[in-house]
Amino acid sequence: MDPVFIASTFWRLLGALPLTLEVWALSIFFGGFIAMGVTWMRVSGSKPLELLARGYIFVFRGSPLLVQLFVIYYGLSSFPFIRHSFLWPFLRDAFSCAVLSLALCTGAYTSEIFRGALAAVPHGQIEAARACGMSRFALFRRVIIPIALRQALPAYSTEVISMTKATALVSLVTLWDMMSVALKIRNDTLVTYTPLLVAGAIYFVVNFIIARVFMTLEYHLSPHLRRRAG
Amino acid sequence: MTETQPSAITVANMHKRFGKLEVLKGVSLTAKDGDVISILGSSGSGKSTLLRCINLLETPDDGVVTVAGETIRMRKRRDGTAEPADHKQVDRIRSQLGMVFQNFNLWSHMTVLENLIEAPVHVQKRPRAECIDEAHALLKKVGIGDKADYYPAHMSGGQQQRAAIARALAMRPKVMLFDEPTSALDPELVGEVLRVMRALAEEGRTMLVVTHEMSFARDVSSRVMFLHKGLVEAEGPPAQLFNGEATERFRQFISGQAQKAD
Amino acid sequence: MIGFGQKGWGPALLEGAVMTLLVSLAGLLVGAALGSLVAWAKLSGHKIAAAVGDTYAAIFRGVPELLVVYFVYFGSSALLTGAANLVGVEGFVGVPSFAAGALAVGVISGAYQAEVYRGAYLAIARGELEAARSVGMSNMLMFRRVIAPQVMRFAVPGLGNLWQVALKDSSLIAVTGLSELMRVSQVAAGSTRQPFVFYLAGGVLYLVLTTLSNRVFDAAEVRATRGLRRIGT
Repeated sequence: MDPVFIASTFWRLLGALPLTLEVWALSIFFGGFIAMGVTWMRVSGSKPLELLARGYIFVFRGSPLLVQLFVIYYGLSSFPFIRHSFLWPFLRDAFSCAVLSLALCTGAYTSEIFRGALAAVPHGQIEAARACGMSRFALFRRVIIPIALRQALPAYSTEVISMTKATALVSLVTLWDMMSVALKIRNDTLVTYTPLLVAGAIYFVVNFIIARVFMTLEYHLSPHLRRRAG
Repeated sequence: MTETQPSAITVANMHKRFGKLEVLKGVSLTAKDGDVISILGSSGSGKSTLLRCINLLETPDDGVVTVAGETIRMRKRRDGTAEPADHKQVDRIRSQLGMVFQNFNLWSHMTVLENLIEAPVHVQKRPRAECIDEAHALLKKVGIGDKADYYPAHMSGGQQQRAAIARALAMRPKVMLFDEPTSALDPELVGEVLRVMRALAEEGRTMLVVTHEMSFARDVSSRVMFLHKGLVEAEGPPAQLFNGEATERFRQFISGQAQKAD
Repeated sequence: MIGFGQKGWGPALLEGAVMTLLVSLAGLLVGAALGSLVAWAKLSGHKIAAAVGDTYAAIFRGVPELLVVYFVYFGSSALLTGAANLVGVEGFVGVPSFAAGALAVGVISGAYQAEVYRGAYLAIARGELEAARSVGMSNMLMFRRVIAPQVMRFAVPGLGNLWQVALKDSSLIAVTGLSELMRVSQVAAGSTRQPFVFYLAGGVLYLVLTTLSNRVFDAAEVRATRGLRRIGT
């Protein structure tokens, strides 16, 4: 274990971290909006919308992310009508395809988290708000969303961490993220363990930070669940 | 007695069915200002449903509800079911009714104080400072003046229910609706809530109380209404029902309740 | 658009699906062994054992699954090559991709299965264990007749979920060259120049696998929880 080699590996991998984080952040961002839309469809009361939402969730939660990624990146580009459409500049780009695929995938899981959180809002508290004369909008904003948000945080933090791990798959669609760089170092130097271990360590630290941020957030939002001080 | 003054609440011929089951088969009720009406009946008699139809937490299939002279406008949907015609009117009328639930239903993510000022500030649009002052006064009145910054989870059931009563009072309601307010409380905590309710009655508040507490019905209410299978079986001043010409069913009901209390 | 070359590749895809099932199952079993070990370590109260268990779980929950697959595959091959070289065998000795893949999936699954088993054990009513002791059951007997069956009962829902995860994680083993479903789809896509058809076909087969698995686990859950009071009943 040559410290110089470890250090150089570390810096090279760190150079790829921004790309990893970009893919991660954009996927979560768009995935969140997709999830809100899908959840709304699920609880809208309209049968066709609900079925559409459930179908989407079924497909994207029941199949591996790798398959989804390949269908979008390799599969879509094989259609002439896509290659000639206005979407082509977007769909030929590995980065966009990767973000699209990851966003669709996390959207499905996240919408289930949102749905569970909404269902967990105690019905009695909703009734109390209605009984006060709160409009539906105020009810949503003042009671349902705050409670559902706190409900969703633990499961959502797990999903966010899953997403950092999922970004490693973009190495398989020609993007130079940390995973790709680690493998390249291994190929070039024939050193097996070090690049993978260092990459693993960086992923681990990133996830650790994310977990801590969520724990702090949960702590500050839930004084009502802690023991009373004093 | 001034007959020209509009009643606080009038319910005329209320019907409600859940699926095939008809829970209310034509119940009428009139409450004047200052009336304290206890609504009794065994489970399934429709008493909670009656209350919940008044503030439209359930939608009655038929019948007219009038609060302080204003009638809630209803209309029929395409499939024949009824719905309120004007949601804004419903919200407005609800803000004039204060409801106290069996399970308290305080908002768990807010402190007691925040629970109390939520509706006055955001629904009735009153100035925040005024609402806070009034909230503190109300909390003192129900005996939990020091618990303003507590979260509901950190209080006993009796304290939570008293906070819920204060929350209903904070809206300066014309009529208060109590849906089995003590049924979810441990026996030793029932007394503190009943004491608060008694004080409110003595103040002259108009109250509709669905309850199993016979002592409250007998000693504090101005009228008692006994529901059986969706209809008003007996109605009148407590003395009349409890001591005098009660129907057979009512007497059976009371003795059943007495046995449960033993 | 709908490739008629499908006729040639159909059986291969199905074989790939079978391979996916096998490697996922192997992985789940490895995970079960590791998971029970870690659960036991955490429940035992031994500080060091618990710390080791916690570290293992934290590591394999915090690093990408793909990285674990690469690490196990390349790493174990490197180990094996080194050992082989020591005894005079020349060149590169690769670990069979099935073994490496199952091990990788298993090591990740174990980190999550540990929590399932720990939770299931804690869900057993203390009173039942006291009753077992008071009739004089030995630890071994109590484990066999009271603890293990109940842990399995309570663990079924969690395991159903982790099985699905294992199925999907197994697609990553494609990078080792193992002919599971993902790899076959990839090869077919490349060979026929019809990536959409074959990746979609692969996806559909995965959906079939997960749907069937759900049915099986739902039935297992019903059977496992007979006699338990379920919420809503």
